[in-house]
Amino acid sequence: MDVLQYIIPVFAPEVLWVIALGTLGGIVIGALPGLTATMGVALLIPLTFGMAPILGLNMLIGIYIGGIYGGCISSILVRTPGTPSSAATVLDGYPLAQKGMAGKALGMATIASFVGGLIAAIVLATLAPQLASLALAFGPAEYFALALFGLAIIASLSGDLLKGAIAGMLGVLLSCVGADPISGAARYTFGITGFASGFSFTPALIGLFALSEVFVQIEKMLNERVEKLKISGIWPSRKDLRESTGAMLRGSFIGTIIGIVPGTGSGTASWISYNEARRASKTPEKFGTGHMPGVAATESANNAVCASALIPLLALGIPGDVVTAVLMGGLMIQGLAPGPMLFQERPDIIVGIFAGTFIATVFMFIFGMLGIRLFTKILSVPKNILTISIVVFCFIGSYAINLNVADLYTMIGFGVLGYFMQKFGFSQAALCIALILGPMAESNLRLGLMSANDNLALFFSGPITITFMVLTVLSLLWPLYQNWKARTRERSA
Amino acid sequence: MSFLKKAAVAGFGACLIATFTGAASAQQFPVRPVQVVVPYAAGGGTDLSARIMADTIEKYLGQTMVVRNQPGGGGSIGTSVVLHSRADGYTLGMGAQGPLAMLPHYGGIDYSLDEVEFLALMGRNLMVIASCRGAPFGNAEEFLTHAKANPGAIRVGNSGAGGANHIAMEGFASAADIKVRSMPFQGSSAAVTACVGGHIDAVVASPAEVLPQVQAGNIKPVLVMEESRIEQFPDMPTAIEAGVDFTWSSWKGIIAPKGLPEDVRLKLADALEKTFQDETFIQRMNELGEFIDYRPGPAYEELARRDSGIAETVIRDLGMYGMNK
Repeated sequence: MDVLQYIIPVFAPEVLWVIALGTLGGIVIGALPGLTATMGVALLIPLTFGMAPILGLNMLIGIYIGGIYGGCISSILVRTPGTPSSAATVLDGYPLAQKGMAGKALGMATIASFVGGLIAAIVLATLAPQLASLALAFGPAEYFALALFGLAIIASLSGDLLKGAIAGMLGVLLSCVGADPISGAARYTFGITGFASGFSFTPALIGLFALSEVFVQIEKMLNERVEKLKISGIWPSRKDLRESTGAMLRGSFIGTIIGIVPGTGSGTASWISYNEARRASKTPEKFGTGHMPGVAATESANNAVCASALIPLLALGIPGDVVTAVLMGGLMIQGLAPGPMLFQERPDIIVGIFAGTFIATVFMFIFGMLGIRLFTKILSVPKNILTISIVVFCFIGSYAINLNVADLYTMIGFGVLGYFMQKFGFSQAALCIALILGPMAESNLRLGLMSANDNLALFFSGPITITFMVLTVLSLLWPLYQNWKARTRERSA
Repeated sequence: MSFLKKAAVAGFGACLIATFTGAASAQQFPVRPVQVVVPYAAGGGTDLSARIMADTIEKYLGQTMVVRNQPGGGGSIGTSVVLHSRADGYTLGMGAQGPLAMLPHYGGIDYSLDEVEFLALMGRNLMVIASCRGAPFGNAEEFLTHAKANPGAIRVGNSGAGGANHIAMEGFASAADIKVRSMPFQGSSAAVTACVGGHIDAVVASPAEVLPQVQAGNIKPVLVMEESRIEQFPDMPTAIEAGVDFTWSSWKGIIAPKGLPEDVRLKLADALEKTFQDETFIQRMNELGEFIDYRPGPAYEELARRDSGIAETVIRDLGMYGMNK
């Protein structure tokens, strides 16, 4: 085997140095709201022009892996998703931080990201060509079924089924704003050019989760004395780890599969993983109140997506998500067209990327664990100052993403909406899921109907479609079944 | 001297220097970095092209060029920002076919071709039709015969509703007197993926986007909407050879708002010409799969106006004219 001969160059000091730099930079980019992994990779591609492919590409992969991980830092500490993929981490990460366990939550997130990234990297290195064909199995019907399954999460995610459904429907409705995916006509933009592409996703999330929390905190500060948060430890206890192992492994698996399917990404993966962890748990009621497995589930899934999204890119020349689409540009500038030919023509590059993915994941773990004490210092900032700083970041982050003033209105609007949702017990998570999956469900439903001459049978044929449809029905019935079980238990007690 | 006083003096000095250099700038544009607005998100083909250009133009312009992404509205938001900026040569834009020659026909756009100063055409993305896995046709002749026999049956994937690829396909169909079912995906990559997976019958995309899949034997090239055959697919006929008098490519160049000072315009046009003929630039762009076709301002404008005319006819036929007014 000459694999070894290809691996050795990756351990050259300059390659390691560049990967370390990329990963560290990625963590910072990911942690700052408004800078996403996609932007980080895109902005640094010009830097790789003059570099050897192994150097340049592995730096970009480092940024990608660091960037997806970094998002959890601001999600946990200040309820501001640094990247959209960490929005689900807010649910349990932030309550943990509020209980004084910010360090441990970050520790768990780092361990989960490491495990997820590692498992997906192993799959990438061993099964890439075999699994890649999964990417091609997804047509409009399959995507629609997947989106529907994801939307059904809303039912089991929100304690109150009716309120959850209302929040979800509102999300689907809001995702209709912007260009119609099939006809191109502008919908509900009221002639404002800034909304021609709909509400920008990141500003909407920042408003929904971060700005709304600022309002809640201000209200709290007016009414009660704020005690300083204590921060204890960074290593999750053995009990935490034992409790989270299942969620972590399940998350890694879900992330790996979702990553291979093009057009979906770490956002979708982390929500589905969160929901599955909750469903499998013996104590589902603890989720959302600061429960370690919740953090483990989302962070293992979104980092598993990183490596597995590379699978269809390298094996088929089809990017698995937005960031790998940008990475594809980086590869092509180096004169490397990703696809089946690359495996035969440049095994050195393929092995180099595999090795780089492992190394970047390890660096991510080291920097993450070392950084936790530094990150948590944010929480020792007096609350009034911290709250104001978050407002500033909400604005800068929302504007920086597209330099579009309309995005600021989006952020403020979703902030106000999020505040009232929180106040009256509507699930912000349900709205967020609907924003991600609503457009996917809509365009694929309509594409499927177009392709099948308006015959609905398409959505009930094919193994993948049927599997997801069955899962959708089951996950809608699940909460009803649990209610029924709880009631009978009460009666017999 | 207290710190505050020192700072005040330093600040005043800096202002003086700034005023002085500002006055001198009239003679020697550019004195500060030139900004080029990309109306799409970072990481796409247009964005990477702009970044490669920015990397090369420095030595011809004597200043750095900064790329700024202002995506949204199919490119109309960024393009509008450029055309409404100050005409001093410090704000340029990537002028792409969609926002310039197509979007105005849909309505709801606050600029027109008359407000554009065309500086230089950078390159074109040629349009290729490819047949997908499992499609009942594998070459131009079979494609046209099948389309004639089954009007509206061939499902052709494109990069998005009303975008360049969609309009190209509809324009071709009308010139060929056939009917196809255009299916808009979210970007070219998604359309090509659906094609490789056999979920549609044909796809319209750029040569670079289909090349790896053709090489892997997943899809077959059918025809190119160009005047002559292309290097990547020497065996693939042009539309004209297949009996359809239609050529189309999507393009991008550098634009500015109208009313640039003449010396500034000349300086920019000159630097752009040298950049687009620079060997390293061309090589990098080729590797990215971009087809370089430098044309000076007037020729660029001619191309834009021709395509705008064709697009208007197609868009009217589709019933999409003025739909966003």
